[in-house]
Amino acid sequence: MDQRKRMVFVFCLAVILGCLVFLWQRFYELSRSDEREFEIYDRHYVMITGREDSDFWDRVYESAQEEGKERGVYVERFGEDLSVKYSRNELLRLAMQASVDGIIVPGDEEEETIALLQEVVEQGIPVVNVLQDSTGSIRQCFVGNNSYNLGQDYGRQILELLAEEEDDNPREGEPADVLVLVDETRMDTSQNLILLGIRETLEQAETEVGKVAVETSPVDNSRSFSSEESIRDIFLNSERLPDILVCLSAVHTRCAYQAAVDYNKVGTVQLLGYYDSDAILDAVAKKILYSTIAPDTEQMGRLCVQALDEYVETGYTNNYMAVDTHLIRAEEAERLVGE
Amino acid sequence: MGLTQVSRNPGVFLKKKWRYLTLRQKLTALFLLTAVIILAVNLYMFALINRMTGRVEEVYISNVSLNELSGALDRVQESMEEYLNTKSSDAMEDYYRSEQAYRELMEGLNTRTTDNQMLLTEKNIHGLSESYLVLAEEAIQAKRGRNVEKYGQLYEDADLLYNEIHTFIYSLNNAQFKDNSRNYQVLLDSLRYMELISIVVLFLVLLGNISLIVVSTRSVTMPLHQLARAAGEVSGGNFDIGRIPVQSMDEVGIVTNTFNEMVENIRNYIEQLRVTMERENRLKERELMMQSHLKDAQLKYLQAQINPHFLFNTLNAGVQLAMMEEADKTGRFLENVAEFFRYNVRKNDEDAALREEIHLVDNYVYILNVRFAGEILFTKEVDESLLNVRVPSMILQPLVENAFNYGIRNISWTGRIELSVYQKGGEICISIWDNGAGMEQERIDQVLSGRAQGAETDAGSNGVGMKNVMERLRLYFHDRARLSIFSEGKNTGTEVLIIIPEKADGELESEDDRCTE
Repeated sequence: MDQRKRMVFVFCLAVILGCLVFLWQRFYELSRSDEREFEIYDRHYVMITGREDSDFWDRVYESAQEEGKERGVYVERFGEDLSVKYSRNELLRLAMQASVDGIIVPGDEEEETIALLQEVVEQGIPVVNVLQDSTGSIRQCFVGNNSYNLGQDYGRQILELLAEEEDDNPREGEPADVLVLVDETRMDTSQNLILLGIRETLEQAETEVGKVAVETSPVDNSRSFSSEESIRDIFLNSERLPDILVCLSAVHTRCAYQAAVDYNKVGTVQLLGYYDSDAILDAVAKKILYSTIAPDTEQMGRLCVQALDEYVETGYTNNYMAVDTHLIRAEEAERLVGE
Repeated sequence: MGLTQVSRNPGVFLKKKWRYLTLRQKLTALFLLTAVIILAVNLYMFALINRMTGRVEEVYISNVSLNELSGALDRVQESMEEYLNTKSSDAMEDYYRSEQAYRELMEGLNTRTTDNQMLLTEKNIHGLSESYLVLAEEAIQAKRGRNVEKYGQLYEDADLLYNEIHTFIYSLNNAQFKDNSRNYQVLLDSLRYMELISIVVLFLVLLGNISLIVVSTRSVTMPLHQLARAAGEVSGGNFDIGRIPVQSMDEVGIVTNTFNEMVENIRNYIEQLRVTMERENRLKERELMMQSHLKDAQLKYLQAQINPHFLFNTLNAGVQLAMMEEADKTGRFLENVAEFFRYNVRKNDEDAALREEIHLVDNYVYILNVRFAGEILFTKEVDESLLNVRVPSMILQPLVENAFNYGIRNISWTGRIELSVYQKGGEICISIWDNGAGMEQERIDQVLSGRAQGAETDAGSNGVGMKNVMERLRLYFHDRARLSIFSEGKNTGTEVLIIIPEKADGELESEDDRCTE
């Protein structure tokens, strides 16, 4: 009996002590959780991105940040947390006034942008253009796709599609319509280079596939949601409906395939996309999109930071760093979606 | 040396120290210890809770300082506008004062590059503020230099940046408010946990204190319990308890020690008393047995002789009658018979002189010779110096009677009885020898062991048998007298030999008494 009593006593004591230890642990964790833990970095780079294609930019930013951490650099997504949504150029100016150590920003060919970039570089802040270049500026480096190559890739896809179409449904001398969606607001040369690439590729193969008419359709990007409306307009106006629709941005790709589904034009209009978000991959796997060309976002982010670091450390860097692209067809998309 | 021992084994040291504390000191120490433990735990808990509440108060302090920063920025902007508007020296002074204030507040901002977004925003605000102050300063300088176009442009730039800095501060304030709200919630949660912990800890301390008090008071009261139990036993008459172990040297320890000694003393005293009483009892018992045997002998004698007084008086009358009739022989016979009975009447005492015993034997033999017409040849050889030796009364006559009755009464030759008293080797020998029928060894053994039956009830016996004689000799001489019977068989005669110590029994007894006293 005495032994049993002692056992019960010891058990109760152990339970109480266990509770105490648990409570103390919880308390300790809680009281620690409000203490900010952070690391200090040597340099502060900022990445300024457009508001569109957030998924694409998220990926680029993540890889840039990762690369930065390895190099003792913190890359900030500038202006993201602000209550006012500033334009890219405003953010560029603010970053300059905040005296950051380097700026990663998509460029364009507008004079204002070029002047601003000039000012920034003169302030001693290196600038890397990403995805889109400001060729006229004195920015340190451009990291992006080789647009002409990209155009050639699209051209080859179009040829492939036309060959398949010809087998199934011969056009009998009718020229094939290819519509390329271009960003109305984008003043850079990359779109032109893509178009050039497409056209040249098609011209070289014209004898095999017959006449191909390549046209462009400007998409209004000036207002929020306006690009979606512009793309829908193409589908609503059946006279303008092309055989092949080429999208050069992730947003345009998503809008186009959604419209094709909504207006029951899947198969009637063949879509060539850009980028490899989950939704786009899903569409390729379901054969709503014929194929998509995805830039290597991971490489893009890394190259930006590497270029800045190189410039800060050595005083010079490559003027252009090419980012690889990758063509994804239905089979591969299926595999990727499965993964 | 002592110190090193203390540090080596403080437990033993404390235990030793505890042993030598008084009850008052022990109870005081116990109370103080428990009170100090409770106090310490409470103080610790208070300190923790105090720290937590302090942190709760500080939660929104970052918002407050951001608001201050925002206010200071406003003042810089206002004073700059004022100066640009009025160019007054007051406004100028105001501007520099507010600029200084703003710079001081700016020092509180983080300027390092970190991966904490809020701190990074602080860094950005710091950088923007520096740029803003440069613009503002340039605008003022341009105003002073009356460069209208330049200060107008600079003012516009500064104003734009001023609004943008506000946006940054506002955004940071929002983010910090969210963060602080979360922290506030976390702090409230941890306060709740703190509350629970306090309760559990206090409960544990309470439990610990109770155990401490129970254990310690038990060590104080346990000896008291033992003492009380032992006292109960003693009061119930049981002195056969072991020593109560003394665990401490306090008042209880002293009382326990004293009690142990007291019980020991009482036990010794009782033992002494017991020994004395036992000895007295033994003596009393012996005396009683002596008396009982004598009474037994006398009773048997009286049963045999019915009324010696009557017989004695009658015989005296017979003696006088014989003298008147001049019958001398009859007179002498009656006289002998009378003396024989007188001895019995007179000898109520325990012992007699050997002389008196021998005289009684003479009387008895005379009577027998008259009765049996001089058949018995009685001779005696007595050391005169031993006639005054004291012996138990009535020991020789029964032996002579036995010698006659069982020895020579029924023999065909002339019977002889010989009584001799002599000294040998510091002892006195009394021998009664007859030349009668003799005894078998078996019979001798029976008689000596007291197993012989029937002898004392024989018609011819006066009833004071051999067993009675032996018992009285044993009691009188404290086992130092011996009675032996010698016979070589049938018709070879018998000798009964009594050997007694030279010193009389009375003297021994008095010596014994002295000893016991």
